Amino acid sequence: MKQMKLFLGPQHPGMHGNASVHLYVDGDIIKKSFLLPGMLHRGFEKGMERHSWINNISLIPRVCVVEPDINEMAFVMGVEKLLGLEVPERAHWIRMIILELARLSIHLMAYGGLGGPTGNYTLMYHAHADRNSILDIFEQITGHRVYHQYIVAGGVRKDLPKGIEKDIHAFLDSLEARYEEYRDLGIENPSIVARITDTIMLPEAVVWELGVTGIGMRSAVGKAYDIRKVMPYARYDQVEFEVPTSTYSDARSRIDIKLKELVQSIGIIRQCLAKMPEGPVRVPMGRGQSMRWTVPKGYVYSPVESSRGEFGYYIVSNGGTNPWRVGVRGASYPQGLLGVEKYLPGTRLDDAALWIDTMGVCSPEIDR
Amino acid sequence: MMNSMSNVEFLKELMNRNFKVIETDVIDKYQVSFVLKQADILQALVTLRNAGWIQMSYLSAIDWPDESKIEMIYIFMNWERPVHVQIRSKIDRKDPVMPSIINIYPGAKYYERECHEFFGVKFPGNPDYEKQLILEMWDDIPPLRKDFDPQAYSDRKFTKREYKEDYLVLSDQNSKKEKREVRKERAESLKGGQKV
Repeated sequence: MKQMKLFLGPQHPGMHGNASVHLYVDGDIIKKSFLLPGMLHRGFEKGMERHSWINNISLIPRVCVVEPDINEMAFVMGVEKLLGLEVPERAHWIRMIILELARLSIHLMAYGGLGGPTGNYTLMYHAHADRNSILDIFEQITGHRVYHQYIVAGGVRKDLPKGIEKDIHAFLDSLEARYEEYRDLGIENPSIVARITDTIMLPEAVVWELGVTGIGMRSAVGKAYDIRKVMPYARYDQVEFEVPTSTYSDARSRIDIKLKELVQSIGIIRQCLAKMPEGPVRVPMGRGQSMRWTVPKGYVYSPVESSRGEFGYYIVSNGGTNPWRVGVRGASYPQGLLGVEKYLPGTRLDDAALWIDTMGVCSPEIDR
Repeated sequence: MMNSMSNVEFLKELMNRNFKVIETDVIDKYQVSFVLKQADILQALVTLRNAGWIQMSYLSAIDWPDESKIEMIYIFMNWERPVHVQIRSKIDRKDPVMPSIINIYPGAKYYERECHEFFGVKFPGNPDYEKQLILEMWDDIPPLRKDFDPQAYSDRKFTKREYKEDYLVLSDQNSKKEKREVRKERAESLKGGQKV
């Protein structure tokens, strides 16, 4: 049979963001595929070289659209490492609350996104409604819903507003109460289970070949390879949480891990709210006028655990007011480009969107 | 998992025993960087991979036009001994050539393509490194080099937006002055809701 060329995305319910997967199909079996990035390239790495250290705070959340806070955290931790800056104790805990709320929000969005490729839109509406509550909390804390620009070098921009603990607890309780419902709607739902079980396999050898991190890696390797555990930043060494793993990585087990991480994040936020001390939340990064703040010479790589894996900023300073070079290690770069090219051929056409969804391919961080 | 400081010591010992390390920098207990000569890079990566640093985290380059050098940067990770290792090496800027590492770390394939596109580094050994990845029909020097000026490129590439009428400056020379007067009169005449 003659091969046919099809495009998955950029406008497709199963496609996340502005990238396109070119597929050559024979019947409904994919014979050849590759990702075409570049539709969202905004020249961030060049842009960051042209702005001062403090200005860049407003640029970096845009690198990954759906999960802005990890960008801020990775960049800011790198700057603090170069400066040798000690962050106030309370700021660490506030940062963890923000990061875990962001993790809840992106996991809900990704889980709801499963509704697209599998055709269960109810799931998406429910998940987005709950995500909206998180955005409301963010709006109260930071003043913004999506791009918060809240975590800055030296701490966080301002303290938590009074009474926010009550709102956060109320939201966590409601999410926990709906957890079983989410499972029933998605991965316990027979029509979806049939679709996601034993599809889009990721063997352990492929993990190491591609360099996949995060849920993809943990679902195949079965070990708690989480940056929060193995090289803890902020105060992740002082909270108790488990890293869910599995040794059989199909689409279902990856989504299962994602849901189990929701429970762990809820636990972390509760511990943070209980353990958080009082005190200042920010020390200035430099002295004098903020646009002229400089950072000592050095090369630093600063990784954080995003919802999709190891997300890092490579920062080079030559001692000036601007970064000399900022490189972004997108968490989904390996599975998005090389994974699509090498491991999508041989699967069925309708599983391509599942790869994009369950491996968490985020096109903005490929096109940064 | 072993004590993380001993991991850094282990790496320092490993690299110094096998290669002539130009510079070592311990950034913290989870990160260490080594500067090597270009000729040592491939061998060093093989050594690291055999020692357990099997995940490639990042590959890119840094432009140093004053020294006329491009600095290659590789970052590796070993989850059993959690240390990120940076390997750096400066190569010639005029004709930057770096042997591809895809036989050691297959995941580097697209990173090298991107690095070629943004820095102009050639990677013999990688079959696809010259193919277009992100920048469509790029016709200038590689954009992440320091002598590339985005403002000048934009001025050259795209037509300047021209405004037909300057609405902000209300000078007497403005040809629309009469119309404006008429509008003003009409607005005055409608005051109070009654037509005069």
